[in-house]
Amino acid sequence: MGISGKFKAATVIGAVLMSLASSAAFAEDAAKPVQGGTLIYLEQQPHTNLYPPAGGFYPNGGVLNQITDKLTFQNPKTLEIEPWIAESWTVNDNATEYTFTLRKGVTFSDGSPLDANAVAKNFDTFGLGNKELKQPVSEVINNYDRSEVIDPLTVKFYFKKPSPGFLQGTSVIGSGLVSLATLALPFEQLGDATKIVGSGPFVVESETLGKELSLKVREDYVWGPVKIEHQGRAYLDGIKYVITGEDSVRIGALLSGQADFIRQVQAYDEAQVEGQGYKIYAAPTRGVNNSVVFRPDNPLVADVRVRQALLHGTNAQEIIATLFSANYPQAKSIVASTAQGYVDLSAKLTFDPAKAAKLLDDAGWTPGTNGIREKDGLPLVLTAYESPPQPQNKATLQLVSQQWAKLGVTLNVLAGDAGSRTVDDLDPAKTPVSPAMVGRADPDVIKSQYYPKNRDVLRQKGGPSDKVKSFVDDKLNGLLEALSSEPNREKRLQIAGEVQSYVLDQAYAIPIFEEPQAYAGAPYLQGVDFEAVGRPRFYSTWLAEH
Amino acid sequence: MARYIFSRVGQALLVLWAAFTISFVLLQAMPGDAVLIKFQNPEYGLSAEQIADIRAAYDADGSVVLQYVHTIGNFLTGDFGYSLQAGVAVSAQLAANLPSTIRLAGLAFAAAALLAVIIAVLSNISGFGRLRSFIQSLPSLFVSIPTFWLGIMLIQIFSFRLRLVPVINPGEWEGLILPVLTIALPISAPMAQILLRNIDEVLTRPFVSVARAKGASHTFVLWRHVAKNAFLPVLTVAGVLFGELLAGAVITETVFGLNGIGSLAEQAVNFQDVAVLQAIVVISAAAFVTINLAVDLLYPVLDPRLKAKLGGVA
Repeated sequence: MGISGKFKAATVIGAVLMSLASSAAFAEDAAKPVQGGTLIYLEQQPHTNLYPPAGGFYPNGGVLNQITDKLTFQNPKTLEIEPWIAESWTVNDNATEYTFTLRKGVTFSDGSPLDANAVAKNFDTFGLGNKELKQPVSEVINNYDRSEVIDPLTVKFYFKKPSPGFLQGTSVIGSGLVSLATLALPFEQLGDATKIVGSGPFVVESETLGKELSLKVREDYVWGPVKIEHQGRAYLDGIKYVITGEDSVRIGALLSGQADFIRQVQAYDEAQVEGQGYKIYAAPTRGVNNSVVFRPDNPLVADVRVRQALLHGTNAQEIIATLFSANYPQAKSIVASTAQGYVDLSAKLTFDPAKAAKLLDDAGWTPGTNGIREKDGLPLVLTAYESPPQPQNKATLQLVSQQWAKLGVTLNVLAGDAGSRTVDDLDPAKTPVSPAMVGRADPDVIKSQYYPKNRDVLRQKGGPSDKVKSFVDDKLNGLLEALSSEPNREKRLQIAGEVQSYVLDQAYAIPIFEEPQAYAGAPYLQGVDFEAVGRPRFYSTWLAEH
Repeated sequence: MARYIFSRVGQALLVLWAAFTISFVLLQAMPGDAVLIKFQNPEYGLSAEQIADIRAAYDADGSVVLQYVHTIGNFLTGDFGYSLQAGVAVSAQLAANLPSTIRLAGLAFAAAALLAVIIAVLSNISGFGRLRSFIQSLPSLFVSIPTFWLGIMLIQIFSFRLRLVPVINPGEWEGLILPVLTIALPISAPMAQILLRNIDEVLTRPFVSVARAKGASHTFVLWRHVAKNAFLPVLTVAGVLFGELLAGAVITETVFGLNGIGSLAEQAVNFQDVAVLQAIVVISAAAFVTINLAVDLLYPVLDPRLKAKLGGVA
C-alpha cells in the first residue's frame, strides 16, 4: 500500500486519485481476505427495541444480524433454506410438526449453551408472546402451538394449523436466537443493546444511547452457516455504528474516508458515489413492491372501475425515470421479480390514459366545472400520507398526484406528525389511498401485507381498525389463508400467483417499483453481503486497508 | 433583599409547574400516542387483539387526571418514566445526553460572548471608514444565517474538502469545534448588536467627555468606563438567548450526529414519545428559569443603583 500511502498525504485531488489507484490494487487482492480492523458503519437512525421479532426495522436488523444466529440460513441467491444452528430437520406432511436437530457446542456469548431448551424457549416467546414481560408475538410465526425438548440437541415444534412458512420463518431477522437471560428481561429493557446476548459472530461491547454502538468480534465463533465459504471467526475485529441522520453528512463522510459503509443512499446521490469509485449496494428486499394501495371501504374508491382507472393512469416508468435509478426496477406484479412465487403480470399494469378516462366515465365520474371529476355533486378528491421510511416517498406520491390530476382526480399528499398519520391511516374515510411496502423472502409476505389480522393494508372489517364500516373481501382472505397453510410447495406457489392476479384485477394496489435497500461502501471494503431481505451481514466482510 | 429572592424563586417554581402542566395537556391533546405509533407500526405486524393487550399493559387508555397526578408524582421523585420508542428508561437517555448538551451549549455561549466582544472592540478601535462599517454589519449577517445551512457548509468545507476535522469519530474536543461555531455564530449576533449600540450610546454621555478632557485615552475610556455600563443590557439578552441556544442545539446535534438533548428531542417529537418530551420540556424550563433567576440576582451585584432601589422597595 506504499503508493496509495503517498497519495493519502495529498488532500483534495489526491482523494480521487487514491480511490482510483486503490480500487485497481484491491482488484488483485480480492481473493485473499485480511483479518483485522474496525468497520465504521453510518446508520441514519438509532436502533429501537432490540427484541428479535422487532428486527424488521432496518437499524435493528443491521445490529441483530451481527449478534444473533438463526436456526436456519436462507441462501440469498437461491432462497433455499440451509443448515445453520440446526444441522437438519424434518417436517411432517401437513406442516404442523417440525423437528430440528441442533449443532453441538454452540454457546451464547454469556457462556450459556444454545441447546434444545434455549431454542424451545425462544420460539415459545416469539410464537406466543409473553404478556407478563410485555413481549409481543412475532409476525413471521403463524399458528404456533407449543414446543417439546426431545433431547438436549433435538427440539420439536407443534402448530395448530399447517404452517409451511415456519421453516423460512426460522431463518429471518426476526427469529434471531438469544440467551435465556435475555428472554427473561421485560420488553422495557431490550432497547439497551448491551443486554442482548446472542451467539453471533459479534458481541456488543459498548453503547452510547442514540449515538454509537460498538461490536467486537467473538474469537471462538465456529458455527457460521456450514454451506458458506467463510468459516471460523469474522474477519473484522469490530464494527462501530455511528448514527448520522443527515444524508449529505453520511455521503460526505464516506467519500472523505471517515466511514467505510453507509445505509440509505438516495437515488440522486448514486452518481456522486459511483463517480468517485465507491460502490452502491442495492440489496433487493424480495417482498411486496413499493405500491400505492386503496381502502375500498371509502365510497370514493369502492368501485373497481375507479381503482382500475387510477392504476392505468399511473405511469410507473415516468416515476422511476424522474426520481430513481436502474437500482429501482419497475414493478411487474405486486411482489418483486426476486420474490418467491412471482408471476410477471406487466400486461395488467399498462399505462393507458385513454382507458383510464373511459373507466372513470363508465363509473359515472364526469369532469366537473374546475376539471375535477364529480359524481352526484361529490368531487373525486383523495388523500394519502407519505411514508417517511420509503425512499423519496413524498416525491413519488406527488408525481402520482400529478399523473392523476391529468385524469381529473385530485390526490392530496400529507406529511403530518406520526400521531395524526397513525390515527388517520386507520380510517379509510380519511386515507382512501396509502403507500405500502414490506420485505420478506417467503410467499407468506403477501399474506402479511393484505390479511386483516396482519398488516391489513386494505383496511378490512375485522382488522386492527375499528373505523372500517363494511369492506371485507372473503375471496382474497380465503386465498391468503390457503397461501399460508398449503404444505405442498408447488401448489403454494400457484396460489401465490393467483393472489397476485386477483389483487391486480381488483386494482387494490398499484405497484410502482421493486424497492431496494441502498447502501454505499468504500472501494477497499470487501465481502459485504446481505440476508435475503437486504440487511447487511458483516460476518465475511473485510477491510483491505485499515 | 431576602423577600426579593424568595418571591423570584417562587415565581420560578410556578413557571416550572406551568410548563409541565401545559406540555402535559398539549401532548395529551395530540392525536395518537406513543403506544399506538410504536405498535401500530407495520414492522411489528401485530393484530388488533395483540395491540389492545399492549395498550392495556401500558395503561394507554387510562384516566388523564390519574396519569397527570401519577406523572407529576414520579417527576418529583426523579422518575422520568420510560421511552417507548428507544426501549430504555428516560433517565438513562438523559444521563447519556444531558452532559454533552451542557458542554456544547456552554462552550457555544462562551464562544458567542467572545465573538461579540471581539466585534465590539474591533469596531471601536478601527476608527471610522469601510472597515468599521464592515465589522458593524457582521451581526446582521450572522443572525440571518440559518443554523442548518451553516452546519452543513462548515462540515462540507472543513471536514470533507479540507479534511481538517473529522465529523465521524472525532477526538473528544476536536469534534466540538465545528458544532460550537455553528451555534455560536448566530447567537453572537444579538449580543454584538446590543453591545455596539450601547457602546455608541454610552460614548455620548457627559462623563465620557469629562474623562476624555482629563486626558484619558480612547482605549482607557472604553475599558474602564464604557464597557461596564454597556454590559448590563447584554446580560439581560444573554438570559433570553438561552432559548436560542437550545433551538440551535436541536439542529446542530442532528446535523453533526452528536448525541444530546437536542437530537433526543428531535427523535422524541418524531415518535410522539411523550415521556421523553415531558422530561425535556421540564429540564429546559428548569434551565431557562435558573439562568434568568441568576441574571436577575446578578443585577444588583453589578449595578449598585439597582441594589439601592431594591432596598427601598423592601
